[in-house]
Amino acid sequence: GLPCGAYMQPLQAVDLWKNHFTERGVMEPDHSSLYIMAYLLGAKTIESLEQEKLSEFLSPEKTEQMWKLCSRRLSRMPVQYVIEEWDFRDLTLKMRPPVFIPRPETEELVELMLNDLEMKPGTGIGADSQHTCLEVGCGSGAISLSLLKSLPQLKVTALDQSQDAVDLTRANALMLGLQDRLQIHCLDVMKETVLSLCRHVSTLVSNPPYLFSEDMTTLEPEIFLFEDHAALDGGKDGLKVIKQILTLAPQILSNHGRVYLEVDPRHPPLIQRWVEVNVEEMLCLFLFVRPRFCILRKEKSNKYHKLDLD
Amino acid sequence: MLRLSPFISCVYSLSSRVIWGVPHGAPLLLRPRPPGLMCVLAAGKKDLIDLPVLNEDELEEQFVRGSGPGGQATNKTSNCVVLKHIPSGTVVKCHQTRSVDINRKRAREIMRGKLDVFYKGELSEVLVNKKESELRKQEKRRKANGNLERKRLFRETLAANSKPGNDTV
Repeated sequence: GLPCGAYMQPLQAVDLWKNHFTERGVMEPDHSSLYIMAYLLGAKTIESLEQEKLSEFLSPEKTEQMWKLCSRRLSRMPVQYVIEEWDFRDLTLKMRPPVFIPRPETEELVELMLNDLEMKPGTGIGADSQHTCLEVGCGSGAISLSLLKSLPQLKVTALDQSQDAVDLTRANALMLGLQDRLQIHCLDVMKETVLSLCRHVSTLVSNPPYLFSEDMTTLEPEIFLFEDHAALDGGKDGLKVIKQILTLAPQILSNHGRVYLEVDPRHPPLIQRWVEVNVEEMLCLFLFVRPRFCILRKEKSNKYHKLDLD
Repeated sequence: MLRLSPFISCVYSLSSRVIWGVPHGAPLLLRPRPPGLMCVLAAGKKDLIDLPVLNEDELEEQFVRGSGPGGQATNKTSNCVVLKHIPSGTVVKCHQTRSVDINRKRAREIMRGKLDVFYKGELSEVLVNKKESELRKQEKRRKANGNLERKRLFRETLAANSKPGNDTV
């Protein structure tokens, strides 16, 4: 319960809640407590706060807020949903259950894409040709908005089968002032065509649901109880949505356009084999940088060329 | 021939391999150098052009995140980056932001500063800049005091000269 009349310093409150979380089996008891307190003190992390702020006593209002937010965490609600925000690269985004929370691994995928896109000028017809990008499964908009922020010439179309995700991406785009170069549509690529929305895009990106169905039941409560299962479950082999995206890719991409996927580390060799047989126009490229990224390029009529892979 | 060059650059940007070389005109340091380590003039932050560039092979990085599959299967929030420079044993911890990507970059910047001090001692640009900025502060204070003194004398002179019968300057 709320401490009556007790004035405490931030780290005392943090300690109290850390112990409480530990008793109740809540994961990351110390980090949870610290992030919530930092948020209440207007910072991202406790480590970024000045010592003076930490030695000030908490006001009754702040104490009450700490108690309210930490109680939510007790129910295993992820910290990101408790404080209703989280960071992805240099962006702070609103977070709202059940929309999928961006993972740190995906930051590296964006980094890779930016390196590629920055090096290659826009290709295509017209003097002012630009890169265009399609994101499948935008969630909170993390990937699309990161790309838009870093590449002022880029235009993005973002799709998600969840209306909640579409709404949240739109809210984040407005908050960041990036809405002018972003189109968002509620669409399920498994069931509907995307051809009417965009053609000849230079880049396709996705962090699609890639978990194996049988692994869904062993997920930690934070994920199982609060995040959209449709954003996680990739079917028996985790490849259901990935295969659909790769089937669509040649129709949407301009020649030499690329697909960037985050996948399960077991997937890349499976994807390569499948693509060789089923999607003639896509060529797998492996960087061996990270096992969970898969990058492919569209090569028109490549079945007549034996590429020299030396 | 498969065009891998854009991707090789990608690989390089994730694991930058740069060699250090001795800057021209800089006095040779007496401290023994670790094998295979030379210093180059590197384009770093605006004031610190001489900071060592990191060799990723000499770094060991740790996200304090615990074991597990990662990716969609987990939602761990601990993204403190611990970076260790193996040859010197220097360790940098960074948890300034909630982005692993940014913490990693910042940890590297902090490491560059620390290694500069470690290898160059007093000649380290970091320490030199610090000293220079303190000297500038002192100089400013002295000037300010000097000005105040001059103003005081001027006023006194004015007061003395403003007695009736005197010419004003």
